[in-house]
Amino acid sequence: MDSLIARALDTAAARGASYADARMVETAQERYSVRTGVVDVISSDESMGIGVRVVADGAWGFASTSTMTPDAVDQAAALAVEIAKASATSGGPKVELGPPVTSRGTYVTPVEVDPFSVSPEDKLALLLEADERMARVEGISARTGNLIFIRERKSFASSEGADVQQTIFEAGGGIQATAVGNGEVQRRSYPNSMGRQQGCSGWEFVRDFDLVGNSERVSSEAVALLTAERCPADITTTLIIGGSQVGLQIHESCGHAIELDRVLGSEAAYAGTSFLTTEKLHNFNYGSEQVNITADSIRMPGLGSFGWDDEGVPAQSTPVVEAGRFVGYLMSRETAATLGLQSNGTMRASSWNRLPLIRMTNVSLEPGEWELDDLIADTDDGILVDTNRSWSIDDRRYNFQFGTEVGYEIKNGKLGRLLRNCTYTGITPEFWNSCDAVCNSSHWTMWGTPNCGKGQPGQLGHTGHGASPARFRNVRVGVMR
Amino acid sequence: MIGEDATLALLERALTLSTAEDTDIYLSSQDLGLTRFAGNAIHQNVSHSNVTLNIRAVEGKRLGRATTNDTSDDGIRKAMEAAKRNALLMPEDPAFPGLPEPQAAPRVASWDESAATCSPMTRAQMVREVCSQGASNGLDTAGACRTGIQELAVVSSRGVRAYHAGTFAGLIITTRSDTSAGWAKGGSWRLDQIDYPALAAEAVDKAVRGRNPQPVTPGEYAVVLDHYAVDDILEALSLYGMGAQAVQEGRSWMCGLEGTRAMSGAVSIWDDGGSLEGWPMPFDVEGVPRRRVELVEDGVVNAPVHNTYTAAQDGVASTGHQQYFVGPPIASNIFMRPGDKTVEELISSTERGLYITRFFYTRLSHNRGCVMTGMTRDGTFLIENGEIQHPVKDLRFTQSYVDALNGVEGVGDEAKLVLNEVGFATRVPALKLASFNFTGVTV
Repeated sequence: MDSLIARALDTAAARGASYADARMVETAQERYSVRTGVVDVISSDESMGIGVRVVADGAWGFASTSTMTPDAVDQAAALAVEIAKASATSGGPKVELGPPVTSRGTYVTPVEVDPFSVSPEDKLALLLEADERMARVEGISARTGNLIFIRERKSFASSEGADVQQTIFEAGGGIQATAVGNGEVQRRSYPNSMGRQQGCSGWEFVRDFDLVGNSERVSSEAVALLTAERCPADITTTLIIGGSQVGLQIHESCGHAIELDRVLGSEAAYAGTSFLTTEKLHNFNYGSEQVNITADSIRMPGLGSFGWDDEGVPAQSTPVVEAGRFVGYLMSRETAATLGLQSNGTMRASSWNRLPLIRMTNVSLEPGEWELDDLIADTDDGILVDTNRSWSIDDRRYNFQFGTEVGYEIKNGKLGRLLRNCTYTGITPEFWNSCDAVCNSSHWTMWGTPNCGKGQPGQLGHTGHGASPARFRNVRVGVMR
Repeated sequence: MIGEDATLALLERALTLSTAEDTDIYLSSQDLGLTRFAGNAIHQNVSHSNVTLNIRAVEGKRLGRATTNDTSDDGIRKAMEAAKRNALLMPEDPAFPGLPEPQAAPRVASWDESAATCSPMTRAQMVREVCSQGASNGLDTAGACRTGIQELAVVSSRGVRAYHAGTFAGLIITTRSDTSAGWAKGGSWRLDQIDYPALAAEAVDKAVRGRNPQPVTPGEYAVVLDHYAVDDILEALSLYGMGAQAVQEGRSWMCGLEGTRAMSGAVSIWDDGGSLEGWPMPFDVEGVPRRRVELVEDGVVNAPVHNTYTAAQDGVASTGHQQYFVGPPIASNIFMRPGDKTVEELISSTERGLYITRFFYTRLSHNRGCVMTGMTRDGTFLIENGEIQHPVKDLRFTQSYVDALNGVEGVGDEAKLVLNEVGFATRVPALKLASFNFTGVTV
């Protein structure tokens, strides 16, 4: 155990903490961004600090410092206890953590090529070539490309005896072309929107995107969208949703809804609560029989993959929805104890100066049996949509509306005209109960969401969502004005 | 807190460790105490202090970046070397205008000792009062109370020397019954501006009046918006179009509207980072003084805010709106001119419409017109014949915010400050709008 961590635990105990943990984090990050032919950003970012979390007088306190000295750590630990004692004055139930956690060991994200070992020149050359290829298509007003590589070294120990060390690698990147004209602004992204696709992986993850090979297609599709047919206005139809958009649909309408802290009201004032209240566990048809959803922290290259969570609970896989039935939450030690259950290891903090919260791990829709071509051929009339453009959902995760970058008409089992400005909307359980087909594992991708906001002070979580294209019946489409 | 002398001494020392042709360093330091509550009790309570050095190294027309929170000589030197190395990796950018020359930034005294020194116990006392009001009305109370210090300093080899220390205080409250919710939010650089008993009463009132909401049919409604909802409109208009990069790339809602009357003549919007009525930040992260920028004047769309790079592209001076170390210029201290109507008068002048507390999870659906979708939340009511009839279930809207502001029929007489946690602030009045397009209803 690191001596500063040991000191934090000792000081917290001496000040009256009944439980303490300390987490030392050292993060290194490389960012590269090219914008319309200009290298916009090359940045090397480092951050290091230690966070101390305690229970005193039955309540929580947390304090952190970036000053890595024994005195500063003592002060942080003492302040954490002072804060916990202030928390206790507000009343409320005493903190119960359930069985002790005594994990020990080390974990390193398996990577083929350490992304920090690849030369910056090679990384920049990849983006510049992709940019040059995007520029070959006339009519593009803005081009962007970016790469990001993260290495997080984390040591965690607790007064219960847990003592684990982890090194987590992440790699990500993407390109985007924006076209303006015909009274329109249209964009196409690859491999995903919101800037990039990201995973717990090495350089190979980005290398295999083939950003360069997809550049001209991305630009051409953005330009084509300017004059494409509008999505039909406010109709109800059959929708086939592409894998990356299914991933975000899972994130918003399932992943957040199964966070037990939200269910219990801890996030009520900010992100909201959840319609999946506790009496629904094992007693609610979340979706159709085609819908099987799993939360795991072991499937690579999911952004929710690790060795232990930030309470020291080991990585694991748990079912969330089985043949449509709701069977599991994402839980912390404290929230699990309120249901008489044990944590399934989902507590993560975005930095050394943030408190761990329940965060999605890899919440994934398990693959079905369909080939995508067969699914399209099996659809008489509908729309295929893909790649997120906008996303919104209510505070209980019922009413959602998504927009996508691209849509294609489906007529008599064949893809037809390109459609722009596609949106669809629905109510979560009605929507997932309308799912009648999921594509097979050959179409399944682990998508990464590196920008999941939650908590106060705010935290950006990194989550994974395995998904393949899926079909939904009677969906309301084309809400736009 | 580091303090002005120590901060500038740290940055001067850091500059000596750079071997680049030009260097600037933006220091961001925050001491934060934040107390969260839910279920009428504190459940998360945190404190943190952090100092980050954000370094830009220039070699010719190339600019590399690095950040670190290690302020030792070794840590700074390592970051300086990384920034220079990154600069040398770049191709020359002919459009790069160089680092800004020094300009005198006005000093703004947004410092409140009470906010700076607020203890966990003081925050707990505020939270207990808030929770007590909720509990006595049979409501579950949740929220967050935060206080602290933000220091910002910029020093460069071009001679820029700028320092600002400000305080912040904020309280948000959500009150919930089985069928309703209420909301209140207060923010300021002064702790005594957080009238927590009044904010608690406001949130309790909405939740009590909101019990047993009835569904209404989606469609076009006149709306009376509390200032919280108006804040959402201005934040979206800022993020999706009031910055010059979005205009230059053709993505902004401002494109094609500059110089034209796109909004009601009752609408005037400006950005002013130096005003004590907002959450002041007198210079940006490039050390450029934040100028007051008229964004919309009497309904006429004016011009966006700039950083040094976008200003050079347009042949104008930077307005001092580089908000973050990386990213586009952003208008982040926004004001909207108040009118002469109370919220009650806005409601009483409405034959049929909706009274809305705030919007939630709003996202851009289309750039042109800034078409947004989102939900109502925490208190939505049907107005008929000038009176609130009953609460309604929350609705989804899909609406152009530009078009919505073209239909202003009344402006509240009091502009209130809404301060979010990452330094984005608006001071805005309530509004009555002729039409707002609701496209769905939740369960």
